[in-house]
Amino acid sequence: MLDKQKFIGYGLFALVIVAVSAYFIYPINKSIKLGLDLQGGASVLLQAKGTAKAPVTTESMDQAENIIRQRVDKLGVAEPGIIREGNNYIQVQLPGIKDPNKALDVIGKTALLEFREVLDSEVIGGKKLTVTKDPTSDKDAVLIDKDKKMKYKVGPTLMTGSAIASATAGYDTNNKPQVDLTFSAEGGKLFDEVAAKTYKKQLAIVLDSTVQSAPSIESQSYNGRAVINGSFTLDEVKTLALVLQTGALPVKLEMSDIQTVGPTLGLDSLRAGVLALIVGFILVIIYLLVYYRGLGVIATLALAAFAIILFGFAAFFGTYGKSIGLYWNMTLPGLAGIILSIGVAADSSIVIFERIKEEIGSGKTYRLAMEQGFRHGFLTMVDANFVTFITAFILYFLAVGPVRGFAFTLMLGVAIDLFVTYFFLQSMLGLTLNWKPMQKSAITGMKGVV
Amino acid sequence: MQRFHFEFIGRKKVWFGISGTIIILGIIAMMLGGLKWGVEFQGGNQFDVKFKKAPTVEAIRTTLATLKLGQSTIQPVGTGNEYLIRSERLSGDTRGQVETALKKAFPVTDISARDIGPGWGQQVTDGAWKALIASMFVLLLYISIRFEFKMAVSAILALFHDGLVVVGIYALVGLLEAKLGLAWIPSEITPNTVAALLTILGFSLYDTIVVFHRIKENAEIIGKRTYSIMVNDSMNQVLMRSINTSLTALIPVFVLLIFGGQTLKDFAFAMFVGLISGAYSSIFIASPILALWKETEPRYIMVREKLARGGKGEAAASSKERTTPTETKGFTPEAPQAGNIITGVTSDEVGMPPPAMTPTPKQKTAAQKAKKKAKKKKRR
Repeated sequence: MLDKQKFIGYGLFALVIVAVSAYFIYPINKSIKLGLDLQGGASVLLQAKGTAKAPVTTESMDQAENIIRQRVDKLGVAEPGIIREGNNYIQVQLPGIKDPNKALDVIGKTALLEFREVLDSEVIGGKKLTVTKDPTSDKDAVLIDKDKKMKYKVGPTLMTGSAIASATAGYDTNNKPQVDLTFSAEGGKLFDEVAAKTYKKQLAIVLDSTVQSAPSIESQSYNGRAVINGSFTLDEVKTLALVLQTGALPVKLEMSDIQTVGPTLGLDSLRAGVLALIVGFILVIIYLLVYYRGLGVIATLALAAFAIILFGFAAFFGTYGKSIGLYWNMTLPGLAGIILSIGVAADSSIVIFERIKEEIGSGKTYRLAMEQGFRHGFLTMVDANFVTFITAFILYFLAVGPVRGFAFTLMLGVAIDLFVTYFFLQSMLGLTLNWKPMQKSAITGMKGVV
Repeated sequence: MQRFHFEFIGRKKVWFGISGTIIILGIIAMMLGGLKWGVEFQGGNQFDVKFKKAPTVEAIRTTLATLKLGQSTIQPVGTGNEYLIRSERLSGDTRGQVETALKKAFPVTDISARDIGPGWGQQVTDGAWKALIASMFVLLLYISIRFEFKMAVSAILALFHDGLVVVGIYALVGLLEAKLGLAWIPSEITPNTVAALLTILGFSLYDTIVVFHRIKENAEIIGKRTYSIMVNDSMNQVLMRSINTSLTALIPVFVLLIFGGQTLKDFAFAMFVGLISGAYSSIFIASPILALWKETEPRYIMVREKLARGGKGEAAASSKERTTPTETKGFTPEAPQAGNIITGVTSDEVGMPPPAMTPTPKQKTAAQKAKKKAKKKKRR
């Protein structure tokens, strides 16, 4: 048990993790992404309201999220965040945006589905066509397709999505996916006129000024029914059918929480939070040092390791979170979670030290007291941390909104705390076992309060 | 080693009385409308405006009156240059007009705004309830497996206690502030408060688990103590630990309450009350409930009856255990038959080192035992 090599190994392992975390953190102002409540910006919570015709389903929410994403992309915000909350909420975050009210208009508007004649087209990167800045329905415009592969020059709008009665995904005779369209009585007539005009040409289906598809017109008379085919995957066909069917969003979205935070006020919050974090941290360290003396030094180092690893995770998610689909940035609730988890981390050292103290008090040698004290104390804190983890875990999956950011931080904090205690604290205790000043200070430090 | 000799279990009526009073007062305050629901629950608009130089509330109201919003609540926050303005829900255009009007009339540094439909707060609360109920079940199961069912139920009851205390205190403070027209403690319920409350419940369990761990350990070397006395001893053993863990958790939260901005204070107050209640309930609520319940088990009833029959000496000794530590008169004659020797013998049998034992119990002579006892006496 008192294996020096084991302690050195554990200690080194912990230090490597600390070093990796420090590497992720540096430089801190770039690695940790601040939420908009700390850096200013706008957020809007969109609530999907299902109707009999357009119910809220996973599929329709996916589709709505995609459309919202396309709209947000057009705003040119550096780090937009689009997060699904619960079954029927989409949270859009626009950190650092200059004119929040205009942005909210763009996101919240009812999208327009238009059919426009394709006059010309070119692969993205070509020089011939220049994308139109503010395209309107009544003039020629150069638009990009949804996959950002093609540029299309299109004429004025010929008809809108209101002409469509239904659109469904299906298969053609060769079992290739296609979209089946049915027009309304009036829409059918209108479509025949359009078809006559664009016969043997391409017709662009445009949503929110983005070309969704540009099928070519192969007939002049459709009798109210049409199919769109080509080399589509089933998913593409489904998406296209949804777009055509609903004209815009597959479900009705209402803005249920709009928040704009001024940059100065965000900075105020950040300063207050960081100040509280630092002062709280220092006070806890002073308490530990005064009360536990020699052991307090170990506790302080463990707390520092804990903080570095926790911020390392924050930095990791801030830098790489997007590519692994875990959008997490530092918000006020997150900061509160971190401050609370400092308390949890200090508790672990205390539980173990108090146990060691008891063992020494019952007449054990310093060595034995350390060993047994750690074992018993660690067992206690595993149970205690585990129940905290359970609560945070369930919160994270069942709750919505600010509760989740808070729960996630706490979950991370509890897990890191277990890691630091087992590897770092244990190794520090083990390695200083034979160090006389530590023994002496630890014991006198304890006797001071017995 | 037991450094303290406080009476926890014996005075359970006092602790239950204190908690009961706070909870009942809280419920009365709630019925009197003490709970202040944040804008997230009612729906509406809120503007957080920071001015370069603070205008008077009346001046702001006059400006808002031009937009027919003279009825809005205007509340100073923070250092005084900042105001929180609340109104009913406005259309998107009106929201912009308010901001423009304020910027025109006063030297405004910055504005943050919220526009919330009435459903969001409810959505958060619904999710929280679901999470709460689910975690209760999981925790009940986990503690039952790791410890025992009675401990699980006692721990959960302590959680309910904490929840009621926090909500009750919110209602009391809210009522008090409304009566005095103050706003120095953020006693408004927001989704953030709900988040803080839920996590605090998990954290409150931390303390309870630490205490129960010791009770579980000591139950194996209970000897001829009644369950209540064993629980009381356990709590005296872990007292310093509980105080220290609670203090280190409270320090950062307290700092947050002092230095944190508006939103962080929302969290901090709920956490602050919750942490104190959680630390209190693990010792003064969860453990007495557990002791009361366990005492109904036949084997502990037997122990109790045996102790009662066992003559004056033992009965006196056990009541000795129940007295305050300062009361050491008459200690010497009773000591030889009292809990001390009993614990000593038991620990020999079990081989576990409880109070004042050396790690090699078997070689201990009677003389050494006597010496230990003397030492113990001194400590008391």
